[in-house]
Amino acid sequence: MTRPQLLGVGALGLAALAAFVGTPVPARPGEIDVNQLAGMIAREEDHVTAIDLAGWIKDRKPGLRVIDVRPAEAFDDFHLPTAENMPLPSISQAAFKTTDTLVLYSDGGAHAAQGWVLLRSLGYRHVYFLRGGLGEWLDDVMNPVIPANAAPDVADAFKRTVELSQYFGGHPTVGDRPPATTTSQRIEAMKRRGC
Amino acid sequence: MNSLVLAATIGVAFGWTLERAGLGSAKKLIGQFYLSDLTVFKVMFSAVLTAMLGVFWLSRLGIIDLGQIYVPETFIGPQLAGGLVFGVGFVVAGLCPGTSCVAAATGRGDGVATVFGMFMGVLTTGLFLPRFATLYASTPRGLFTLPEALHLSYGTVVLMIVLIALGGFGIAERIEGRP
Amino acid sequence: MIPARAARPYANPYYSGIALGLVLLASFVLTGRGLGASGAFASTASGVVHAVSPSTAAANFYFSRYLADGARPWRDWLVFELAGVMVGAWLSARLAGRLGARVERGPRVTSPVRLVLATAGGAAMGLGAVFARGCTSGQALTGGALLSVGSWLFVLGAFAAAYTAAPLLRRAWQ
Repeated sequence: MTRPQLLGVGALGLAALAAFVGTPVPARPGEIDVNQLAGMIAREEDHVTAIDLAGWIKDRKPGLRVIDVRPAEAFDDFHLPTAENMPLPSISQAAFKTTDTLVLYSDGGAHAAQGWVLLRSLGYRHVYFLRGGLGEWLDDVMNPVIPANAAPDVADAFKRTVELSQYFGGHPTVGDRPPATTTSQRIEAMKRRGC
Repeated sequence: MNSLVLAATIGVAFGWTLERAGLGSAKKLIGQFYLSDLTVFKVMFSAVLTAMLGVFWLSRLGIIDLGQIYVPETFIGPQLAGGLVFGVGFVVAGLCPGTSCVAAATGRGDGVATVFGMFMGVLTTGLFLPRFATLYASTPRGLFTLPEALHLSYGTVVLMIVLIALGGFGIAERIEGRP
Repeated sequence: MIPARAARPYANPYYSGIALGLVLLASFVLTGRGLGASGAFASTASGVVHAVSPSTAAANFYFSRYLADGARPWRDWLVFELAGVMVGAWLSARLAGRLGARVERGPRVTSPVRLVLATAGGAAMGLGAVFARGCTSGQALTGGALLSVGSWLFVLGAFAAAYTAAPLLRRAWQ
Protein backbone atom coordinates (compact mmCIF):
# COMPACT_ATOMS: atom_id res chain seq x y z
CA MET A 1 0.00 0.00 0.00
CA THR A 2 1.35 3.41 -0.88
CA ARG A 3 1.83 6.05 1.78
CA PRO A 4 -1.20 8.12 0.65
CA GLN A 5 -3.30 4.97 0.69
CA LEU A 6 -2.18 4.27 4.23
CA LEU A 7 -3.17 7.79 5.20
CA GLY A 8 -6.53 7.19 3.55
CA VAL A 9 -7.06 4.10 5.65
CA GLY A 10 -6.10 6.12 8.71
CA ALA A 11 -8.64 8.80 7.80
CA LEU A 12 -11.29 6.14 7.32
CA GLY A 13 -10.52 4.69 10.74
CA LEU A 14 -10.77 8.07 12.42
CA ALA A 15 -14.01 8.77 10.58
CA ALA A 16 -15.55 5.43 11.50
CA LEU A 17 -14.67 6.07 15.12
CA ALA A 18 -16.22 9.54 14.82
CA ALA A 19 -19.45 8.02 13.50
CA PHE A 20 -19.46 5.57 16.40
CA VAL A 21 -18.92 8.33 18.93
CA GLY A 22 -21.47 10.55 17.21
CA THR A 23 -20.96 13.94 18.75
CA PRO A 24 -17.84 16.11 18.83
CA VAL A 25 -18.92 17.42 22.22
CA PRO A 26 -16.56 16.09 24.90
CA ALA A 27 -17.90 13.33 27.09
CA ARG A 28 -18.08 15.36 30.24
CA PRO A 29 -18.69 13.19 33.28
CA GLY A 30 -20.94 15.85 34.71
CA GLU A 31 -20.05 17.17 38.10
CA ILE A 32 -22.66 18.65 40.34
CA ASP A 33 -21.40 21.49 42.48
CA VAL A 34 -24.12 21.28 45.07
CA ASN A 35 -23.38 24.58 46.76
CA GLN A 36 -23.28 26.53 43.53
CA LEU A 37 -26.51 25.03 42.20
CA ALA A 38 -28.31 25.37 45.55
CA GLY A 39 -27.34 29.03 45.68
CA MET A 40 -28.67 29.65 42.19
CA ILE A 41 -31.95 27.95 43.04
CA ALA A 42 -32.37 29.99 46.23
CA ARG A 43 -31.60 33.21 44.34
CA GLU A 44 -34.13 32.18 41.67
CA GLU A 45 -31.52 32.45 38.94
CA ASP A 46 -32.55 29.09 37.58
CA HIS A 47 -35.89 29.88 36.00
CA VAL A 48 -37.67 32.40 33.81
CA THR A 49 -41.30 33.44 33.67
CA ALA A 50 -43.49 32.58 30.72
CA ILE A 51 -43.71 36.30 29.93
CA ASP A 52 -39.89 36.51 29.84
CA LEU A 53 -39.75 33.54 27.50
CA ALA A 54 -42.52 34.95 25.32
CA GLY A 55 -40.55 38.15 24.98
CA TRP A 56 -37.37 36.26 24.07
CA ILE A 57 -39.16 34.20 21.41
CA LYS A 58 -40.90 37.23 19.92
CA ASP A 59 -37.66 39.23 19.85
CA ARG A 60 -35.78 36.28 18.29
CA LYS A 61 -33.15 36.37 21.02
CA PRO A 62 -29.91 35.15 19.42
CA GLY A 63 -28.86 31.67 20.49
CA LEU A 64 -32.22 30.92 22.15
CA ARG A 65 -33.15 27.23 22.23
CA VAL A 66 -36.54 26.29 23.68
CA ILE A 67 -36.44 22.66 24.79
CA ASP A 68 -39.55 20.57 25.43
CA VAL A 69 -38.51 17.67 27.66
CA ARG A 70 -41.81 15.81 27.42
CA PRO A 71 -42.29 12.59 25.41
CA ALA A 72 -42.73 12.89 21.64
CA GLU A 73 -46.52 12.30 21.67
CA ALA A 74 -47.07 15.21 24.05
CA PHE A 75 -44.79 17.40 21.93
CA ASP A 76 -46.64 16.52 18.73
CA ASP A 77 -49.96 17.32 20.39
CA PHE A 78 -48.93 20.86 21.34
CA HIS A 79 -45.65 22.65 21.87
CA LEU A 80 -44.40 26.18 22.31
CA PRO A 81 -43.41 28.13 19.20
CA THR A 82 -39.80 27.41 18.15
CA ALA A 83 -39.56 24.57 20.70
CA GLU A 84 -37.46 21.47 20.04
CA ASN A 85 -38.36 18.11 21.49
CA MET A 86 -35.64 16.51 23.61
CA PRO A 87 -37.03 14.06 26.17
CA LEU A 88 -34.85 13.88 29.26
CA PRO A 89 -33.10 10.58 28.46
CA SER A 90 -31.63 12.12 25.32
CA ILE A 91 -30.65 15.43 26.84
CA SER A 92 -27.00 14.56 27.39
CA GLN A 93 -26.54 13.75 23.71
CA ALA A 94 -27.58 17.18 22.57
CA ALA A 95 -24.64 19.30 21.55
CA PHE A 96 -25.64 22.82 22.43
CA LYS A 97 -23.33 25.73 21.85
CA THR A 98 -21.89 26.97 25.13
CA THR A 99 -23.06 30.45 24.19
CA ASP A 100 -26.70 29.43 23.57
CA THR A 101 -29.50 30.28 25.99
CA LEU A 102 -31.38 27.10 26.82
CA VAL A 103 -34.91 27.26 28.27
CA LEU A 104 -36.46 23.95 29.30
CA TYR A 105 -40.15 23.36 29.88
CA SER A 106 -42.44 20.48 30.75
CA ASP A 107 -46.10 20.15 31.75
CA GLY A 108 -45.79 21.32 35.32
CA GLY A 109 -42.14 22.29 35.47
CA ALA A 110 -40.74 19.48 37.60
CA HIS A 111 -39.06 17.56 34.79
CA ALA A 112 -37.76 20.77 33.31
CA ALA A 113 -36.25 21.69 36.66
CA GLN A 114 -34.54 18.30 36.81
CA GLY A 115 -33.28 18.84 33.26
CA TRP A 116 -31.86 22.16 34.47
CA VAL A 117 -29.75 20.38 37.08
CA LEU A 118 -28.56 17.84 34.50
CA LEU A 119 -27.55 20.42 31.90
CA ARG A 120 -25.84 22.63 34.45
CA SER A 121 -23.88 19.64 35.67
CA LEU A 122 -22.71 19.07 32.08
CA GLY A 123 -21.23 22.53 32.10
CA TYR A 124 -23.77 24.62 30.21
CA ARG A 125 -23.97 28.11 31.67
CA HIS A 126 -27.06 29.79 30.27
CA VAL A 127 -29.74 27.29 31.25
CA TYR A 128 -33.19 28.14 32.63
CA PHE A 129 -36.53 26.45 32.97
CA LEU A 130 -40.13 27.55 32.96
CA ARG A 131 -41.05 27.15 36.62
CA GLY A 132 -44.77 26.89 36.06
CA GLY A 133 -44.33 24.71 32.99
CA LEU A 134 -46.75 24.70 30.10
CA GLY A 135 -49.49 25.65 32.56
CA GLU A 136 -47.78 28.96 33.25
CA TRP A 137 -47.50 29.65 29.51
CA LEU A 138 -51.19 28.92 29.01
CA ASP A 139 -52.17 31.05 32.01
CA ASP A 140 -49.85 34.03 31.59
CA VAL A 141 -49.32 34.23 27.85
CA MET A 142 -52.24 32.55 26.10
CA ASN A 143 -55.03 33.44 28.54
CA PRO A 144 -53.77 36.28 30.74
CA VAL A 145 -56.39 37.80 32.99
CA ILE A 146 -56.39 41.18 34.69
CA PRO A 147 -58.99 41.96 37.37
CA ALA A 148 -61.42 44.69 36.40
CA ASN A 149 -60.31 47.00 39.22
CA ALA A 150 -56.52 46.63 38.86
CA ALA A 151 -54.14 49.38 40.03
CA PRO A 152 -52.73 51.69 37.29
CA ASP A 153 -49.19 50.29 37.39
CA VAL A 154 -50.53 46.73 37.18
CA ALA A 155 -52.69 47.77 34.24
CA ASP A 156 -49.64 49.33 32.56
CA ALA A 157 -47.56 46.19 32.94
CA PHE A 158 -50.50 44.23 31.56
CA LYS A 159 -50.22 46.13 28.26
CA ARG A 160 -46.96 44.33 27.49
CA THR A 161 -48.60 41.04 28.41
CA VAL A 162 -51.49 41.77 26.05
CA GLU A 163 -49.08 42.58 23.23
CA LEU A 164 -47.19 39.33 23.73
CA SER A 165 -50.36 37.33 24.15
CA GLN A 166 -51.83 38.57 20.91
CA TYR A 167 -48.55 37.93 19.10
CA PHE A 168 -48.86 34.26 20.01
CA GLY A 169 -52.58 34.07 19.24
CA GLY A 170 -53.72 34.21 22.84
CA HIS A 171 -56.85 35.70 24.40
CA PRO A 172 -56.26 38.26 27.12
CA THR A 173 -59.36 38.98 29.19
CA VAL A 174 -60.52 41.26 31.96
CA GLY A 175 -62.30 39.80 34.94
CA ASP A 176 -61.96 36.69 37.04
CA ARG A 177 -59.84 33.73 36.08
CA PRO A 178 -62.00 30.71 35.19
CA PRO A 179 -61.75 27.67 37.49
CA ALA A 180 -58.46 25.83 37.32
CA THR A 181 -58.22 23.00 34.85
CA THR A 182 -55.45 20.60 33.98
CA THR A 183 -52.92 21.48 31.32
CA SER A 184 -54.30 18.98 28.84
CA GLN A 185 -57.86 20.24 29.34
CA ARG A 186 -56.70 23.79 28.66
CA ILE A 187 -54.87 22.67 25.53
CA GLU A 188 -58.00 20.95 24.26
CA ALA A 189 -60.10 24.05 24.98
CA MET A 190 -57.58 26.22 23.18
CA LYS A 191 -57.60 23.94 20.15
CA ARG A 192 -61.38 23.95 20.03
CA ARG A 193 -61.36 27.74 19.99
CA GLY A 194 -59.18 27.71 16.92
CA CYS A 195 -57.23 30.64 15.56
CA MET B 1 -1.96 43.81 16.45
CA ASN B 2 -1.03 40.35 17.66
CA SER B 3 -3.93 38.80 15.77
CA LEU B 4 -2.85 40.53 12.57
CA VAL B 5 0.68 39.15 12.93
CA LEU B 6 -0.87 35.73 13.44
CA ALA B 7 -3.02 36.26 10.35
CA ALA B 8 0.04 37.08 8.29
CA THR B 9 1.91 34.04 9.63
CA ILE B 10 -0.98 31.73 8.82
CA GLY B 11 -1.13 33.37 5.42
CA VAL B 12 2.53 32.62 4.77
CA ALA B 13 1.92 28.94 5.53
CA PHE B 14 -1.20 29.01 3.35
CA GLY B 15 0.60 30.59 0.40
CA TRP B 16 3.62 28.31 0.74
CA THR B 17 1.43 25.20 0.76
CA LEU B 18 -0.59 26.31 -2.25
CA GLU B 19 2.53 27.05 -4.27
CA ARG B 20 4.16 23.75 -3.29
CA ALA B 21 1.09 21.95 -4.61
CA GLY B 22 1.33 23.80 -7.91
CA LEU B 23 -1.96 25.58 -7.40
CA GLY B 24 -0.37 28.86 -8.46
CA SER B 25 -0.43 27.63 -12.04
CA ALA B 26 -3.61 28.27 -14.02
CA LYS B 27 -2.77 25.50 -16.46
CA LYS B 28 -2.52 23.01 -13.63
CA LEU B 29 -5.74 24.21 -12.02
CA ILE B 30 -7.72 24.09 -15.25
CA GLY B 31 -6.65 20.51 -15.81
CA GLN B 32 -9.22 19.60 -13.17
CA PHE B 33 -12.04 20.57 -15.49
CA TYR B 34 -10.63 18.81 -18.53
CA LEU B 35 -9.94 15.73 -16.42
CA SER B 36 -6.25 15.75 -17.23
CA ASP B 37 -4.90 16.84 -13.84
CA LEU B 38 -7.04 16.31 -10.79
CA THR B 39 -4.68 18.01 -8.33
CA VAL B 40 -7.33 20.56 -7.33
CA PHE B 41 -9.72 17.87 -6.18
CA LYS B 42 -7.03 15.92 -4.35
CA VAL B 43 -5.61 18.94 -2.55
CA MET B 44 -8.97 20.47 -1.61
CA PHE B 45 -10.52 17.29 -0.31
CA SER B 46 -7.39 16.13 1.49
CA ALA B 47 -7.40 19.51 3.21
CA VAL B 48 -11.11 19.34 4.08
CA LEU B 49 -10.75 15.78 5.44
CA THR B 50 -7.73 16.74 7.53
CA ALA B 51 -9.32 19.83 9.01
CA MET B 52 -12.71 18.19 9.47
CA LEU B 53 -11.32 15.16 11.31
CA GLY B 54 -8.96 17.43 13.24
CA VAL B 55 -11.79 19.67 14.41
CA PHE B 56 -13.95 16.69 15.40
CA TRP B 57 -11.29 14.95 17.45
CA LEU B 58 -9.71 18.02 19.03
CA SER B 59 -13.20 19.03 20.13
CA ARG B 60 -14.08 15.55 21.38
CA LEU B 61 -10.89 15.40 23.40
CA GLY B 62 -11.72 18.73 24.96
CA ILE B 63 -8.71 20.50 23.42
CA ILE B 64 -10.78 23.03 21.52
CA ASP B 65 -14.33 24.31 21.96
CA LEU B 66 -16.31 23.89 18.74
CA GLY B 67 -18.65 26.59 19.94
CA GLN B 68 -15.82 29.13 19.78
CA ILE B 69 -15.06 28.57 16.11
CA TYR B 70 -16.75 30.87 13.63
CA VAL B 71 -18.85 28.84 11.20
CA PRO B 72 -19.98 30.74 8.09
CA GLU B 73 -23.74 31.37 7.99
CA THR B 74 -25.86 29.71 5.34
CA PHE B 75 -27.84 31.62 2.72
CA ILE B 76 -29.14 28.86 0.49
CA GLY B 77 -30.04 30.84 -2.65
CA PRO B 78 -27.19 33.36 -2.75
CA GLN B 79 -24.54 30.77 -1.98
CA LEU B 80 -25.73 28.30 -4.58
CA ALA B 81 -26.15 31.01 -7.20
CA GLY B 82 -22.90 32.66 -6.17
CA GLY B 83 -21.21 29.30 -6.52
CA LEU B 84 -22.50 28.87 -10.07
CA VAL B 85 -21.27 32.30 -11.15
CA PHE B 86 -17.99 31.73 -9.33
CA GLY B 87 -17.50 28.40 -11.08
CA VAL B 88 -17.85 29.97 -14.50
CA GLY B 89 -15.40 32.71 -13.55
CA PHE B 90 -12.99 30.07 -12.28
CA VAL B 91 -12.88 28.27 -15.62
CA VAL B 92 -12.52 31.51 -17.55
CA ALA B 93 -9.67 32.76 -15.35
CA GLY B 94 -8.12 29.45 -14.41
CA LEU B 95 -7.39 30.78 -10.93
CA CYS B 96 -9.42 31.47 -7.80
CA PRO B 97 -8.97 34.42 -5.41
CA GLY B 98 -6.41 32.73 -3.19
CA THR B 99 -4.44 31.05 -5.97
CA SER B 100 -4.48 34.22 -8.07
CA CYS B 101 -2.50 35.87 -5.28
CA VAL B 102 -0.09 32.93 -5.34
CA ALA B 103 0.26 33.26 -9.09
CA ALA B 104 0.72 37.03 -8.93
CA ALA B 105 3.35 36.72 -6.22
CA THR B 106 5.35 34.27 -8.32
CA GLY B 107 5.41 36.49 -11.37
CA ARG B 108 2.41 35.31 -13.38
CA GLY B 109 0.79 38.12 -15.35
CA ASP B 110 -2.46 36.21 -15.52
CA GLY B 111 -2.45 36.08 -11.74
CA VAL B 112 -2.14 39.85 -11.57
CA ALA B 113 -4.96 40.24 -14.10
CA THR B 114 -7.20 37.90 -12.12
CA VAL B 115 -6.50 39.81 -8.91
CA PHE B 116 -7.35 43.05 -10.67
CA GLY B 117 -10.51 41.55 -12.15
CA MET B 118 -11.56 40.21 -8.75
CA PHE B 119 -11.07 43.59 -7.17
CA MET B 120 -13.12 45.31 -9.86
CA GLY B 121 -15.79 42.62 -9.61
CA VAL B 122 -16.12 42.95 -5.85
CA LEU B 123 -16.05 46.74 -6.05
CA THR B 124 -18.74 46.92 -8.74
CA THR B 125 -20.93 44.30 -7.11
CA GLY B 126 -20.62 46.07 -3.78
CA LEU B 127 -21.59 49.41 -5.28
CA PHE B 128 -24.75 47.93 -6.82
CA LEU B 129 -25.54 45.60 -3.95
CA PRO B 130 -28.02 47.89 -2.16
CA ARG B 131 -30.30 47.49 -5.17
CA PHE B 132 -30.19 43.74 -4.70
CA ALA B 133 -30.27 43.75 -0.94
CA THR B 134 -33.30 41.46 -0.71
CA LEU B 135 -31.75 38.93 -3.06
CA TYR B 136 -28.48 39.13 -1.17
CA ALA B 137 -30.16 38.45 2.17
CA SER B 138 -32.65 35.85 0.94
CA THR B 139 -33.09 32.30 2.27
CA PRO B 140 -31.03 32.74 5.44
CA ARG B 141 -30.63 29.71 7.65
CA GLY B 142 -28.07 31.06 10.09
CA LEU B 143 -25.64 28.50 11.40
CA PHE B 144 -26.89 25.45 9.51
CA THR B 145 -24.75 22.36 9.35
CA LEU B 146 -25.07 19.14 7.38
CA PRO B 147 -25.80 17.06 10.52
CA GLU B 148 -28.79 19.32 11.21
CA ALA B 149 -29.96 19.26 7.61
CA LEU B 150 -29.62 15.53 7.17
CA HIS B 151 -30.74 14.61 10.70
CA LEU B 152 -27.62 12.53 11.16
CA SER B 153 -25.03 12.69 13.89
CA TYR B 154 -21.97 14.86 13.31
CA GLY B 155 -19.73 11.79 13.29
CA THR B 156 -21.89 10.03 10.71
CA VAL B 157 -21.66 12.99 8.37
CA VAL B 158 -17.88 13.03 8.85
CA LEU B 159 -17.75 9.37 7.86
CA MET B 160 -19.93 9.99 4.81
CA ILE B 161 -17.70 12.80 3.60
CA VAL B 162 -14.55 10.74 4.14
CA LEU B 163 -16.07 7.84 2.20
CA ILE B 164 -17.10 10.13 -0.66
CA ALA B 165 -13.68 11.78 -0.74
CA LEU B 166 -11.76 8.48 -0.68
CA GLY B 167 -14.03 7.16 -3.41
CA GLY B 168 -13.33 10.31 -5.38
CA PHE B 169 -9.58 9.85 -4.92
CA GLY B 170 -9.84 6.32 -6.27
CA ILE B 171 -11.73 7.52 -9.32
CA ALA B 172 -9.30 10.40 -9.79
CA GLU B 173 -6.33 8.03 -9.83
CA ARG B 174 -8.08 5.88 -12.40
CA ILE B 175 -8.92 8.86 -14.60
CA GLU B 176 -5.39 10.21 -14.48
CA GLY B 177 -3.94 6.74 -15.06
CA ARG B 178 -5.69 6.49 -18.42
CA PRO B 179 -3.33 7.52 -21.26
CA MET C 1 9.56 31.20 -21.36
CA ILE C 2 11.18 29.38 -18.47
CA PRO C 3 11.12 25.66 -19.26
CA ALA C 4 9.24 23.61 -16.71
CA ARG C 5 12.11 21.17 -16.30
CA ALA C 6 14.36 23.79 -14.74
CA ALA C 7 12.07 23.98 -11.70
CA ARG C 8 11.63 21.40 -8.99
CA PRO C 9 8.56 19.22 -9.37
CA TYR C 10 5.43 19.99 -7.41
CA ALA C 11 4.71 18.12 -4.19
CA ASN C 12 2.39 15.13 -3.95
CA PRO C 13 -1.14 16.60 -3.93
CA TYR C 14 -2.31 14.43 -1.05
CA TYR C 15 0.56 15.59 1.15
CA SER C 16 0.04 19.21 0.14
CA GLY C 17 -3.64 18.81 0.88
CA ILE C 18 -2.92 17.44 4.32
CA ALA C 19 -0.48 20.28 4.94
CA LEU C 20 -3.15 22.76 3.83
CA GLY C 21 -5.65 21.07 6.15
CA LEU C 22 -3.20 21.41 9.02
CA VAL C 23 -2.78 25.13 8.27
CA LEU C 24 -6.56 25.47 8.32
CA LEU C 25 -6.75 23.50 11.56
CA ALA C 26 -4.03 25.68 13.11
CA SER C 27 -6.03 28.73 12.14
CA PHE C 28 -9.14 27.32 13.87
CA VAL C 29 -7.21 26.49 17.01
CA LEU C 30 -5.13 29.66 17.25
CA THR C 31 -7.64 32.23 16.07
CA GLY C 32 -11.11 30.67 16.18
CA ARG C 33 -11.62 31.31 12.48
CA GLY C 34 -10.60 29.74 9.20
CA LEU C 35 -8.92 30.90 6.01
CA GLY C 36 -10.28 33.23 3.37
CA ALA C 37 -9.40 35.38 0.42
CA SER C 38 -12.31 37.23 -1.15
CA GLY C 39 -13.05 39.06 2.09
CA ALA C 40 -9.74 40.87 1.76
CA PHE C 41 -10.85 42.17 -1.62
CA ALA C 42 -14.06 43.42 -0.04
CA SER C 43 -12.33 45.31 2.73
CA THR C 44 -9.82 46.79 0.30
CA ALA C 45 -12.69 47.89 -1.95
CA SER C 46 -14.34 49.46 1.11
CA GLY C 47 -11.22 51.43 1.77
CA VAL C 48 -11.04 52.65 -1.79
CA VAL C 49 -14.69 53.68 -1.88
CA HIS C 50 -14.28 55.45 1.44
CA ALA C 51 -11.24 57.31 0.18
CA VAL C 52 -13.06 58.47 -2.94
CA SER C 53 -16.45 59.18 -1.39
CA PRO C 54 -16.94 58.60 2.34
CA SER C 55 -20.67 59.23 2.11
CA THR C 56 -21.13 56.54 -0.54
CA ALA C 57 -19.21 54.07 1.58
CA ALA C 58 -21.14 54.89 4.72
CA ALA C 59 -24.48 54.56 2.95
CA ASN C 60 -23.62 51.20 1.41
CA PHE C 61 -24.41 48.34 3.79
CA TYR C 62 -21.83 46.04 2.21
CA PHE C 63 -18.87 48.41 2.48
CA SER C 64 -19.79 50.10 5.73
CA ARG C 65 -19.29 46.81 7.56
CA TYR C 66 -15.58 46.99 6.94
CA LEU C 67 -15.40 50.61 8.03
CA ALA C 68 -16.86 50.03 11.47
CA ASP C 69 -13.59 50.59 13.35
CA GLY C 70 -12.68 53.99 12.09
CA ALA C 71 -12.08 53.66 8.36
CA ARG C 72 -9.02 51.44 8.53
CA PRO C 73 -10.14 48.45 6.47
CA TRP C 74 -6.53 47.63 5.63
CA ARG C 75 -6.03 46.46 9.20
CA ASP C 76 -8.27 43.52 8.43
CA TRP C 77 -7.44 39.93 9.35
CA LEU C 78 -7.89 38.70 5.79
CA VAL C 79 -5.85 41.50 4.25
CA PHE C 80 -2.89 40.56 6.44
CA GLU C 81 -3.52 36.89 5.74
CA LEU C 82 -3.47 37.47 1.96
CA ALA C 83 -0.33 39.53 2.26
CA GLY C 84 1.16 36.52 4.01
CA VAL C 85 -0.09 34.27 1.21
CA MET C 86 1.87 36.29 -1.32
CA VAL C 87 5.00 36.19 0.81
CA GLY C 88 4.69 32.47 1.40
CA ALA C 89 4.04 31.78 -2.26
CA TRP C 90 7.03 33.87 -3.28
CA LEU C 91 9.29 32.10 -0.78
CA SER C 92 8.20 28.67 -1.93
CA ALA C 93 8.62 29.54 -5.59
CA ARG C 94 12.00 31.16 -4.96
CA LEU C 95 13.33 28.08 -3.22
CA ALA C 96 11.95 25.77 -5.87
CA GLY C 97 13.18 27.79 -8.81
CA ARG C 98 9.67 28.51 -10.00
CA LEU C 99 9.79 32.29 -9.89
CA GLY C 100 9.46 33.93 -13.25
CA ALA C 101 7.55 36.57 -15.12
CA ARG C 102 5.22 34.87 -17.59
CA VAL C 103 1.64 34.61 -18.67
CA GLU C 104 0.19 31.13 -18.42
CA ARG C 105 -2.23 30.52 -21.24
CA GLY C 106 -3.66 27.89 -23.51
CA PRO C 107 -1.74 27.22 -26.77
CA ARG C 108 -4.38 28.73 -29.01
CA VAL C 109 -4.71 32.01 -27.17
CA THR C 110 -2.43 35.04 -27.20
CA SER C 111 -1.20 36.69 -24.03
CA PRO C 112 -3.34 39.81 -24.37
CA VAL C 113 -6.45 37.69 -24.86
CA ARG C 114 -5.47 35.56 -21.89
CA LEU C 115 -5.12 38.65 -19.73
CA VAL C 116 -8.57 39.86 -20.78
CA LEU C 117 -10.02 36.45 -19.98
CA ALA C 118 -8.28 36.41 -16.61
CA THR C 119 -9.70 39.82 -15.78
CA ALA C 120 -13.19 38.84 -16.87
CA GLY C 121 -13.05 35.59 -14.96
CA GLY C 122 -11.81 37.45 -11.93
CA ALA C 123 -14.71 39.87 -12.14
CA ALA C 124 -17.21 37.01 -12.33
CA MET C 125 -15.59 35.38 -9.30
CA GLY C 126 -15.83 38.70 -7.50
CA LEU C 127 -19.56 38.83 -8.18
CA GLY C 128 -20.07 35.23 -7.12
CA ALA C 129 -17.95 35.60 -4.01
CA VAL C 130 -19.90 38.63 -2.79
CA PHE C 131 -23.22 36.80 -2.94
CA ALA C 132 -21.76 33.57 -1.60
CA ARG C 133 -20.01 35.36 1.28
CA GLY C 134 -16.74 33.80 0.28
CA CYS C 135 -14.74 31.79 -2.24
CA THR C 136 -12.90 28.48 -2.42
CA SER C 137 -10.79 29.39 0.61
CA GLY C 138 -13.48 30.78 2.86
CA GLN C 139 -16.41 28.65 1.82
CA ALA C 140 -15.16 25.45 0.19
CA LEU C 141 -12.23 24.86 2.53
CA THR C 142 -13.26 26.56 5.77
CA GLY C 143 -17.02 26.18 5.60
CA GLY C 144 -16.64 22.75 4.08
CA ALA C 145 -14.49 21.47 6.93
CA LEU C 146 -17.03 22.85 9.40
CA LEU C 147 -19.92 21.14 7.55
CA SER C 148 -21.82 24.33 6.79
CA VAL C 149 -24.68 23.60 4.36
CA GLY C 150 -24.28 26.87 2.45
CA SER C 151 -20.59 26.19 1.93
CA TRP C 152 -21.18 22.74 0.48
CA LEU C 153 -23.89 24.20 -1.79
CA PHE C 154 -21.31 26.73 -2.96
CA VAL C 155 -18.81 23.97 -3.74
CA LEU C 156 -21.38 21.91 -5.63
CA GLY C 157 -22.53 24.97 -7.58
CA ALA C 158 -19.00 26.01 -8.44
CA PHE C 159 -17.89 22.57 -9.62
CA ALA C 160 -21.11 22.00 -11.56
CA ALA C 161 -20.83 25.34 -13.32
CA ALA C 162 -17.12 24.87 -13.99
CA TYR C 163 -17.55 21.43 -15.56
CA THR C 164 -20.45 22.75 -17.64
CA ALA C 165 -18.53 25.78 -18.85
CA ALA C 166 -15.26 23.96 -19.52
CA PRO C 167 -16.26 22.35 -22.85
CA LEU C 168 -17.38 25.77 -24.09
CA LEU C 169 -13.96 27.23 -23.26
CA ARG C 170 -11.75 24.59 -24.83
CA ARG C 171 -10.37 27.13 -27.28
CA ALA C 172 -8.97 29.06 -24.36
CA TRP C 173 -7.12 26.16 -22.80
CA GLN C 174 -6.40 23.36 -25.26
